[in-house]
Amino acid sequence: MNPRIVMSTVCAIVAFFLTGVVSVATYGAPKTIVLPADNVQLKPSPLPGYAKAQANCVACHSAEYMLYQPPTAPRAYWDAMVKRMKAVFKAPIDDADMPAIVDYLAKTYGNEQAK
Amino acid sequence: MPDPERTNRLRRRLITGGAGLLAGASLGALARSALAQATTELPMVNGHRNLVAFPEKRPLIVLTTRPPQLETPFEIFNDGLITPNDAFFVRYHNAGIPTSIDADKHVIKIGGNAAGKPFELTMDALRTQFKPVEVVAVNQCSGNSRGLFNPRVTGGQLSNGAMGNARWVGVPLKDILARAELKPTARQVTFDGLDQGVFGGGDFVKALDVGHAMDGEVMVAYQMNGADIPFLNGYPVKLVVPGYYGTYWVKHLSEIAVIDQEFDGFWMKPAYRIPDNDCACVEPGTAPAATRPIGRFTVRSFITSVKDGARLPAGRETVVRGIAFDGGQGIREVACSTDAGQTWRGAKLGADMGRYSFREFTFGFTPASGPHDLRVRAWNRSGQSQPMEALWQPAGYMRNVVESVKVVAA
Repeated sequence: MNPRIVMSTVCAIVAFFLTGVVSVATYGAPKTIVLPADNVQLKPSPLPGYAKAQANCVACHSAEYMLYQPPTAPRAYWDAMVKRMKAVFKAPIDDADMPAIVDYLAKTYGNEQAK
Repeated sequence: MPDPERTNRLRRRLITGGAGLLAGASLGALARSALAQATTELPMVNGHRNLVAFPEKRPLIVLTTRPPQLETPFEIFNDGLITPNDAFFVRYHNAGIPTSIDADKHVIKIGGNAAGKPFELTMDALRTQFKPVEVVAVNQCSGNSRGLFNPRVTGGQLSNGAMGNARWVGVPLKDILARAELKPTARQVTFDGLDQGVFGGGDFVKALDVGHAMDGEVMVAYQMNGADIPFLNGYPVKLVVPGYYGTYWVKHLSEIAVIDQEFDGFWMKPAYRIPDNDCACVEPGTAPAATRPIGRFTVRSFITSVKDGARLPAGRETVVRGIAFDGGQGIREVACSTDAGQTWRGAKLGADMGRYSFREFTFGFTPASGPHDLRVRAWNRSGQSQPMEALWQPAGYMRNVVESVKVVAA
């Protein structure tokens, strides 16, 4: 590929990711969007709840939900959220895994973080 | 309401979408290598945020990527009284959001056990069979400014940018419901959109009392600032509830049900509720004895032309500009103080774009050398205003304290 084609391809790809709109609605055509990739990872931890949180929580939502909570967030909050995800949102979380997930969240994102 | 087939399709897409996601990720890495990641610091502990351009949006403050929740950088509110579509905030509740919609095939189903004559409304019928109306109205997230609560509360940690003012065109909900021939038993109207929970639970459904739904102001909107509604703001059609918090402005509206009872789905109860008292507030750290669904906006005002921490020229006049709004009475007066609220004088109001719109204000300020604390306080036409000290409630809704902008003149 000559350099000009490579450059225009890169520009097209960059433009695509800048706008994310694949097809603009014209009559008879659906409007389609491509959302940016979710690159936010859960904070690694030796706690057993880390792997369980990876398997359960981020299947439905990005890790910013945890990452941006105030560091004052108490264990009761994390416990209520994990229970809500199953009771309300039907997340297939094994009850036996819940205490470990809550422990990981409270100690990694909440008010039990190492200072 | 959850559609099991659609939920299964979503789940399959989630499971089989891995290869596509990987390909997308490597292309994304290429795109990102050409662009440094823009970031910003919101004025709160743990306030570091990325700025990312989502589809049809300029780079906005990312609260969450999946589902998209985007906050408008505050300086954009100084660009004009209408918030541009590509800068308007985005708030979803579930990650099962639509990514492809054929507006020509989109229908709104109107039914429920208190609708005498259920029917389906196409976009074409919505645009051609009713008389369109227009309103300039602020949409504001219930949790706008939640991250500024003290003591802090959990939930989406937003600064002041989860609001925007737009010109909406659509059809009064009253006219659509008239065609459904409501029964005398009608008590509430529920609204559902195409977005849904990844595992089928927690579908985002909201309800209004039938009197409110029929007030002639609630609108089924298909145009925003003279263009199609941006995809992430609810393309092709959304509910507009002037003066009410954004939680009621259901996106990708697909189902309206008139029902003979009070709807008690998760997003009406226990979510989106406020203390059931005059101030909608409680002592910090305590729980309310009783709650009610969140309703109209409180009065707010913001200086937009001067940032906290700015330097101003001493001995020269600076014209300070800002915006004020309320839940629909309209702004009557804005007062300003340049000495942390010890003395006040009137600011000049700009053009009236309607009682649901941002209202511009300006005042001149010729500072002496040294630090100054600028504050603005608005009143609406029924005399409601803003508290000098922030009110508190556990869910972090309805913040409307008199803001402080500290500047130094030199």
